[in-house]
Amino acid sequence: MMKTFKQLALASTMLAFVGTAAIADEIKVGSVAGVTGPIAELVVPIVAGRQMAADQINAAGGLLNGDTMTMVLADSQCDPKAGVDAGTKVVNVEQVVAIVGASCSGATNGMVQSVTIPAGVVALSDSATAPSITDLDDNDLVFRVAASDAYQGAAIAQLAWDQGYRTLAMTYANDDYNAGLAGVFEAAFKGLGGTITSNQMHEPNKASYRSELSTLSGNGAEGLAIFAYYGGSGIAIMRNALEAGLFEKFLAADGMFDQSVIDQIGADVLRDNIMITQAASDYDDPSYVAFAGAFEATGHSPQAPYAAHGYDAAFLIALAIEKAGSTDRAAISAALREVAGPPGVVIRPGEWAKAKAAIAAGQDVNYEGAVGNNDFDGNGDVTGLFSVNVVGADGKWTGNLIR
Amino acid sequence: MIDFINFHLIPGLVLGSIYALGAIGVTLTFGILRFANFAHGEIMTLGAYLTLTMMWLTGWHPLILLPVTMVILSLIVIGMDQAFFKPFRNSPAVTVVIASFGLMLMIRSVTQFSWGAQLQAFVPGIQRPNVFFDALRISPKHILIVISAMVLMLVVHWVLAHTRIGKAMRAMSDSPELARLTGINTELVIKATWILGACMAAAAGVFLAYDSHVSTMMGFQILLPTFAAAIVGGIGRPYGAMAGGLLIGVTEELSSYAWLGDGPLLEPGYKAGVSFAIMIGVLIWRPSGLFRGRVF
Repeated sequence: MMKTFKQLALASTMLAFVGTAAIADEIKVGSVAGVTGPIAELVVPIVAGRQMAADQINAAGGLLNGDTMTMVLADSQCDPKAGVDAGTKVVNVEQVVAIVGASCSGATNGMVQSVTIPAGVVALSDSATAPSITDLDDNDLVFRVAASDAYQGAAIAQLAWDQGYRTLAMTYANDDYNAGLAGVFEAAFKGLGGTITSNQMHEPNKASYRSELSTLSGNGAEGLAIFAYYGGSGIAIMRNALEAGLFEKFLAADGMFDQSVIDQIGADVLRDNIMITQAASDYDDPSYVAFAGAFEATGHSPQAPYAAHGYDAAFLIALAIEKAGSTDRAAISAALREVAGPPGVVIRPGEWAKAKAAIAAGQDVNYEGAVGNNDFDGNGDVTGLFSVNVVGADGKWTGNLIR
Repeated sequence: MIDFINFHLIPGLVLGSIYALGAIGVTLTFGILRFANFAHGEIMTLGAYLTLTMMWLTGWHPLILLPVTMVILSLIVIGMDQAFFKPFRNSPAVTVVIASFGLMLMIRSVTQFSWGAQLQAFVPGIQRPNVFFDALRISPKHILIVISAMVLMLVVHWVLAHTRIGKAMRAMSDSPELARLTGINTELVIKATWILGACMAAAAGVFLAYDSHVSTMMGFQILLPTFAAAIVGGIGRPYGAMAGGLLIGVTEELSSYAWLGDGPLLEPGYKAGVSFAIMIGVLIWRPSGLFRGRVF
């Protein structure tokens, strides 16, 4: 609850700042995020990451002719309808030149289809991962620095195969994120030559999953791949499976990446028996190190999920505005792809003065961000990096980058 | 066959016992106070959290702490009745239902505020079942849950059939006007109703948490099957609620057994719909429920 108060305080301070800073040379960028709602706690560091990018840029010369970059926060509540409202507010009322966000896949889908694509405003999401966003008919206006679950699903399948799994049972919660991920995983694992002995959809939030597990077990499955949110059904399924002796080995994706999984089930039972993939950064990469040092100084953990993505998204939008040389919405969306990928002078997090100088000199720039190279493909997606997490000796998740 | 008992029948009985205990409270409130109490799910949740807190303090087993939880929860629920439901005693049922909905949201928020939204467990870790005859796997906690539930149902039966206040409750459920005219203290009966409902809700919440985990939404998530159980059994009929709860819990779990061929009869993903299918069937062909309850 204290966190909620802090969010509200943060949100209102930011909004108050926007209200009073009515100086002539400010450039507004929409910052759409699920400030309230089911992922409220995750959104705090993400918004902080976005804001840190703007603060660094303003401290190092600002945009264009010394203009201030102002992040206009709007709450998408992790909900498609609220996403549309938030998008409408920043696009039509605040007249932003571009948008960072929204947070959740559903909110992003709603916002871009109803508001930003028709209005011709570029939207760069930092945490929407649903595969359905890839194929939107978006006039090259929808981008994301968070990798599509099409990649994560394939990454888990490859991981399972490399670890020697050949036959797996799988179950997924009946929602967009988990169903999409499960579909990709199933196709990828079969493509590698693996066998899915049984694939069951389940309804989240039930008291018992024993009959589901009874159906899933048998046929010699070596393990169970669970696509669920830990609090919705993931922990209950693992507990039921272990208690009934039906499955001992588990695979899961970032919806299950929470310390409570270990706390509830027990580290000893899970050690060597579970692998979870999660979007990650290369923690040795100089870009990540540059981001992490600065972000830690703001009082947040640089490894907070999608915080580095938030920073990269805001920084990329700023580079696109600088490259476009104007606040014209169409010019900014056209410039985004150029500043994100090669060729050009490599720009790392925090190097705004260097980027500004290079662009002023007419050079191309190539942003190598905290979460990876951020080179957009034809659909505005990035491949991204994933870590595989296992239970460490200290009873915490221990991650290793998948290379 | 052994899979049938291990993974369908026993979980069904456990779930059914929990539904039945919850449904007793729902049906008593419906029969005597004449409204559907949406806050009943959160009362179960509150019972689980109270037990969890006392476990932190004492380290005792949840079932030993259950009587203490029942007492505390009864006091809380009577307080709620005085504060939120007494002013509506003569209001239309829909007003009281909305009040209970508001109370539900308030209790949930207080629970989240006090204990946080994170999942918790009575006992972290997993509990392996005992294996009988090399094949029959029964978890000790399931034996405890089912036996305790049966004992509690017998207690409810004894209260209703053999005590003065129980008879008064049944009389008031049958006809509140007549009960008042014969000199029954209605406010006392209402208090007794809340206490009995709260005790059963505490048991349902604690058993559910003991079987799975403690979360702020746990009671709400079983509220709809609990309502279905009360309706199937017959509104205002505590014995019906017990039968309805067991029937719905067992049928939900049995529906996905491989009755025909190798695959499940009904995909387990759809088993949540089973309780409502039964409820609709009962409403169409026997609107008064299995035990001839009230028809609205």
